[in-house]
Amino acid sequence: MRNDLVIGMAGSGGDGIISAGESLMTAMAVEGYHAIMSKSFGSQIRGGESSCRLRISTDPVRSLGGTLDVAVALNWEDFLRFGSELPVTGRTVVIYDANTKVPPDKIPLTEVRPAVAIPVPIQETARQHAGTDKAKNTVVLGLLAGWFGLAPEGVLAGIRKKFSKKGEQVLRGNEQAFAAGLEFAAAHPLALDVVIAPAKPATGKTLLLDGNEMCAAAAVFSGCDFFGGYPITPSSEIMHFLSKELWKHGGTVLQAEDEIAGIGAAVGASFAGKKAMTATSGPGMSLKTEMLGLASIAELPLVCVNVQRGGPSTGIPTKSEQSDLFQAIFSAHGDAVRPVLAPTSVHDTFRMTVEAFNIAEEYQTPVILLSDQEIAQRKETVPAINTSAFHVVSRRLPTRSELEHYVRFRLTDSGVSPISYPGMKGGNYLASGIEHNEKGAPTASGDIHARMNEKRIRKLMPLKHRRDLFDIEGDLHAPLAMISWGSLAGVATEALERAREEGMRVKLLVPKLLYPIANEIFRDFFTGVKAGLVVEQSYQGQLYRVLRMYVDVPRGMQSVARSGANPVLTEEIVARLRQLTLDLQRGRVPEPEPQLG
Amino acid sequence: MSTVAEHEYQAKDYKSDLKPIWCPSCGDFGVVSAIYKALARIGRPPHEIAFVSGIGCSSRIPGYTTAYGFNTVHGRALPIAQGIKLANPDLLVLVAGGDGDGFSIGGGHVPHAIRRNVDLTYILMDNQIYGLTKGQLSPTSPRGLKTASSSYGSLEQPVNPLLYVLSYGAGFVAQGTPADMAGLADIIEEGIRYPGFAFINVQSPCVTFGQEEQQLRVHKQKMQSLKDLGHDPTDRLKAMGLAQEYGTSLHTGVFYRNPEPAASFESAVKELQQRLRPEARLRVDVLKSFQAK
Repeated sequence: MRNDLVIGMAGSGGDGIISAGESLMTAMAVEGYHAIMSKSFGSQIRGGESSCRLRISTDPVRSLGGTLDVAVALNWEDFLRFGSELPVTGRTVVIYDANTKVPPDKIPLTEVRPAVAIPVPIQETARQHAGTDKAKNTVVLGLLAGWFGLAPEGVLAGIRKKFSKKGEQVLRGNEQAFAAGLEFAAAHPLALDVVIAPAKPATGKTLLLDGNEMCAAAAVFSGCDFFGGYPITPSSEIMHFLSKELWKHGGTVLQAEDEIAGIGAAVGASFAGKKAMTATSGPGMSLKTEMLGLASIAELPLVCVNVQRGGPSTGIPTKSEQSDLFQAIFSAHGDAVRPVLAPTSVHDTFRMTVEAFNIAEEYQTPVILLSDQEIAQRKETVPAINTSAFHVVSRRLPTRSELEHYVRFRLTDSGVSPISYPGMKGGNYLASGIEHNEKGAPTASGDIHARMNEKRIRKLMPLKHRRDLFDIEGDLHAPLAMISWGSLAGVATEALERAREEGMRVKLLVPKLLYPIANEIFRDFFTGVKAGLVVEQSYQGQLYRVLRMYVDVPRGMQSVARSGANPVLTEEIVARLRQLTLDLQRGRVPEPEPQLG
Repeated sequence: MSTVAEHEYQAKDYKSDLKPIWCPSCGDFGVVSAIYKALARIGRPPHEIAFVSGIGCSSRIPGYTTAYGFNTVHGRALPIAQGIKLANPDLLVLVAGGDGDGFSIGGGHVPHAIRRNVDLTYILMDNQIYGLTKGQLSPTSPRGLKTASSSYGSLEQPVNPLLYVLSYGAGFVAQGTPADMAGLADIIEEGIRYPGFAFINVQSPCVTFGQEEQQLRVHKQKMQSLKDLGHDPTDRLKAMGLAQEYGTSLHTGVFYRNPEPAASFESAVKELQQRLRPEARLRVDVLKSFQAK
């Protein structure tokens, strides 16, 4: 019995590989398993190759997992296109369609011999039982359920639900195709211990959704009343969900003519007193940058989501990367500080989105929510969230007496000034991108400019003490440390667990607030640290460099940074930690590696 | 426009204490005065008005009123104004800016504001030059014009703002000049009262960098009332014919007023919101639709 199973499947667009993954995931979630699933596509709009990775576990999972335990290839050409996304090792069970006519000892994988390779007449079985190639994915479900103990009854119930609307013949065909898959597995038992252990009893309803859906749902929860945006991969699903949901709550979704108009309309809605949001990815962020500056100087709350993808420019729109951190922090002209938050999982996206709205409203500032394609588009099982435990913050409105002599940008102790909105009698003021005095009147005075800059930055400083926006795990006095963020934090968390099981003394810091830099929190964390790793998915190691700019980082901290679309595996991180542990035992402090750029 | 005025407003109630930065005799002084007058006749209290602009000399205008003003970034007044109006359709939303703001850097937003038909009144102060940046070519500068950035004369055809907005289907299109203050206040008032997107081109001369033939004294001789010409403002094709004369003639008054105004975007939004309201869960229950089953 095993507790954890990573399945990778690939096929052509019409093969229904992703649909099979989703069916399997739903069935397992209902059984009480934890699961994460990612999808990957070729660049074609329709057709072309597609793949999915599904990790199923009896315990909560934090990442997509490393190498595959099970690989399914409906044809080899498509499977091989995904390269390092579907890594096969000597422990992998490989299942492939016998119609590829490849003998098991000749499968086209270089430098690796899987534990076992089993040709299965998948297409032939589908045709025989369902009369169509379309049922190939149903045959695969039968094989997987049979060999690995993946809830055959639950999967069958899912198949029935899905096909019952498509007529008796289709339903019967798929039922038979599934049964045939199960029978094949029963007739060809594996000489390996691969069956998954029973699920632990669930403690509540499980949610099944991706990061973009979670972000949009959390926006609704937070009281978002306006969304302005423009379609862009991989963030569009945020707009899709809101365009179904927001109207019901009296809100509005505007698909604008371009990225600038999308954020512009959101800035306008915020000026008008509503909680507003926009969402985009890298190229769209570049276009929205000027408007973010306007929100900073006009002190308007705004949530701007950037679902990062491979860049620069069009880059790789469908693959994850963490290379927009510099942009999020530094792309403003002028002295603008914008809080930057990064969720670490689908689950965490709920809390970070709520925080983004709360911080935006409380401090009257744009907030950048820096998600990434992996979190945004992977589906996760999430334990039910007790939403009523979350606090929702609204902007501080002027009181009646403050409206008698209203001063919109009053220099208060906190730097936050009560904000009115059109329709509020006595609150009339001029909002502007031009520098202004406390009353909002335009000015070119250097003195006023300095005071206003100070106000706008000072008001955000309490964020630097938000320890609840930093996760610290492991041995707090360890000499060995890791820092990671966004989707990579999941990999780092699992590496930490693995390393500690091996007896290493190591700790991990996951900052969810990436800007302003919480110097004290990092300083405390680095106390006693001799060596370690900053794990992230960008070529330059952007967080590593930002930390070196703001914090006294111990010399032994190294960057583990890699361009996007290439998975960082738990095993690799653990191997690096082993090496560092040895170095420290030998009294060597490793030197930071020189980098390009 | 639902609210009935609580009391009579006068033009001065809309005038703020800020002193305009405009050059003495700038055409924009006339425009802002005409806006005060029109607003007094409409009678909405200043706090129910949002006045949005971009960047440029003319875009300073919201600050000179007592309305809620928003002096935004260059070329983006229209999207921001649409966000305001959609967030609170009860507001009276005015948009203003110059020819560069509206038809050069912000030109891409104009067709979309028109096709959505958000109930905004867009007052364009057209002076055929970039004044704030000291005299460069604008999108409405005539071909051949020598400016700081076109030393040997412009090599480009100008944009025709009137024809542009008529082609995209704007429901209300008018032109005025501070040389005819009464007429200017009238068309601004009419534009505000029009239930949908209204465009008002104001020939507002730049006294510092503008051409001689664009000054008010020339307007006074040249201007020709469309009403006097017997133009029927419900005739869109005739309006387009007259609009072709932009740059040669100076027609004042209403080119086009859709006799059957289309439903505004925000009214469609309201309908949709009302239709879907019964389906709403509590916001705290938003995650329930994602329960695995």
